[in-house]
Amino acid sequence: MASNEDGSIGSSLHGVTAREQVFSFSVEDGPSSQAIRSDDPTAKFAIPVDSEHRAKVFKPLSFAKPHMRAFHLGWISFFTCFISTFAAAPLVPVIRDNLDLTKTDIGNAGVASVSGAIFSRLAMGAVCDLLGARYGTAFSLMLSAPAVFSMSFVSDAVSYLAVRFMIGFCLATFVSCQYWTSVMFTGKIIGLVNGCAGGWGDMGGGVTQLLMPMVYHVIKLTGATPFTAWRFAFFIPGFLQIIMGILVLTLGQDLPDGNLSTLQKSGQVSKDKFSKVFWFAVKNYRTWILFVLYGFSMGVELTINNVISGYFYDRFHLTLHTAGIIAASFGMANFFARPFGGYASDVAARLFGMRGRLWTLWILQTVGALFCIWLGRASSLPIAILAMMLFSIGTQAACGALFGVAPFVSRRSLGLISGLTGAGGNFGSGVTQLLFFSSSRFSTAEGLSLMGVMAVVCTFPVAFIHFPQWGSMFLRPSQHEERSKEEHYYGGEWTKEEKSLGLHEGSIKFAENSRSERGRKAMLADIPSPETGTPAHV
Amino acid sequence: MAVQTFLFASLIIFSSIESNHGATEVSLFTNLENSLEVTAKPTRVGVVWEAGKDIVRITWMLKSSAKVNDDAAFKTVEVKLCYAPISQVDRPWRKTHNELSKDKSCPHLIVSKPYDKTTQSLNWTVDRETPTGTYFIRAYGTDVNGYEVAYGQSSDAEKTTNLFSVEGISGRHTSLDVASICFSVFSVDSLLVFLVKEKKKAKLQQRK
Repeated sequence: MASNEDGSIGSSLHGVTAREQVFSFSVEDGPSSQAIRSDDPTAKFAIPVDSEHRAKVFKPLSFAKPHMRAFHLGWISFFTCFISTFAAAPLVPVIRDNLDLTKTDIGNAGVASVSGAIFSRLAMGAVCDLLGARYGTAFSLMLSAPAVFSMSFVSDAVSYLAVRFMIGFCLATFVSCQYWTSVMFTGKIIGLVNGCAGGWGDMGGGVTQLLMPMVYHVIKLTGATPFTAWRFAFFIPGFLQIIMGILVLTLGQDLPDGNLSTLQKSGQVSKDKFSKVFWFAVKNYRTWILFVLYGFSMGVELTINNVISGYFYDRFHLTLHTAGIIAASFGMANFFARPFGGYASDVAARLFGMRGRLWTLWILQTVGALFCIWLGRASSLPIAILAMMLFSIGTQAACGALFGVAPFVSRRSLGLISGLTGAGGNFGSGVTQLLFFSSSRFSTAEGLSLMGVMAVVCTFPVAFIHFPQWGSMFLRPSQHEERSKEEHYYGGEWTKEEKSLGLHEGSIKFAENSRSERGRKAMLADIPSPETGTPAHV
Repeated sequence: MAVQTFLFASLIIFSSIESNHGATEVSLFTNLENSLEVTAKPTRVGVVWEAGKDIVRITWMLKSSAKVNDDAAFKTVEVKLCYAPISQVDRPWRKTHNELSKDKSCPHLIVSKPYDKTTQSLNWTVDRETPTGTYFIRAYGTDVNGYEVAYGQSSDAEKTTNLFSVEGISGRHTSLDVASICFSVFSVDSLLVFLVKEKKKAKLQQRK
């Protein structure tokens, strides 16, 4: 990737890989592509693209087809789902009186609200790999909208829990959103792009703490009683979901070159087997470490979205409105905190390669967790707010940094790994809510500190993530002739028969593009060897 | 490690600043005189009261056992609806606190009337927004500055007798239910319509 700069080795061969015709993701019209110069297919995009037609630059203010459009549709869909999932949290003081809930009921409903997504995120990973990100997002939005509307039927603790559980399924849009950006944007900027998409989507958890009390007040002004007003307020997130679902289906596109079903039918994208995709995701130990890690960055964040408004309301005797504002600040920090994490990960990768990404992840997550411990111990409002803000920045940046690592764990099972990692986030949230916030054993303040301690401990496993070609936190990359190549790692996901059919070509291309993860020192020393052909200039 | 030390140090500094502030007069429940007698008689006996419908006759007066000048201090009587212990179980937001400014067990104000040294009463319709729960009624006598100096309640000291249950409104409405179903159906239907349309389009393209 150092060969990107002007005048550097091989830059005159920009865009030429000599493999163009064969790759499944890069051609537009089958037979005629043999005559087209490889520059031409990229010329029809509004943004510069790499050999896989993934965008090389990130222009947040643009809505250009298909890359930036996919980005915006993805993050806004995810944002909407966050609003719906946590819509109940700021209204709990009203809901608990209407339904006569106990702390246990509320805690259990909080656990339920994040548990549904454990399964839906797994399923979404598979759906994206097999049906495309567009359908995945639309299914999630439009099939969970009825659950949001059904808050009008809730009359006791059990129905409340059931509805929150069903609404929670829509958090699967996280996976479809990250998958969509990962196929639309190139590896060098993927940390920043995923960080922005994830972070701006997560902001929904903050915005809902402001939006729902506001909607509730407006509805009350029209004369409704509090116990009716909160139910009606849920119609707003419901509407938003339907609108976004329609926009995604009409304006979105699965892949840079078209929609998945069209590309598959014309034979340009081969349909992969779910069992294989699943096996390679599950077999890779790194997936499970990321599962745990995300459980204590995003998991902690989801838990806080559920408990923080009530915590400030009860402990510091604030109004619903004020508690909502403070709680919202936690979620809103995502706007810059998570992209910052992704960006920091990308910068660390430029200097130190994958090892830099892993260290960045560990530092951000541990610091965030330490501030969480402090938050629980703060007994005055200003200190609590300060601790909460620092905690939010650390934890959310860690989420962004983690998704700077995740796209490199597998190429074949990218969707499923995003799904599994995402599910880990919800799993962690369920566990922490169950352990610390669902009974009267710990006060909420104690629960917060204990959760911080658990997060520090569960962040250590990142030291065990090792890539033979890039190394790990404490170990250098393998010196072995074969194993030190990216192609070996990504090629290893395909069997000999599949390789002979050329099914693995997409992974090989990805491997070449991922050489940037070697870091600056290795890049300067890296002169392309003859057997890999011309470097894949992007 | 150094970071943690710094954090704890700043925490200690700030919390010590906080604890010095607010040393002004504080009303404690245990300091109050139980000099008021409060009775609550419902119009319908033996049933659960319905919020917004049932009427209760609440009466409060100085206890016959009280000394003559006990009521000299309080100018206003605040009558409040308080949660019985059973409605406080596993609900820390309704906790009883000795410091009255922090007490959360009596959040619903029924009426606040100037005290005129006679027996006062009120026909109170249970507020429509009263949540489902078990309650008793308490009256606080407050002085000129608004601090509580005396109290009385319709239940005994352990809050076990003379409790009454209120059934709150559900907040559900048929119109809301119908609207909810309509929008849900619309959502699922529009998804199906898109799916079918796209499958048709893909089939057409394949034939081309």
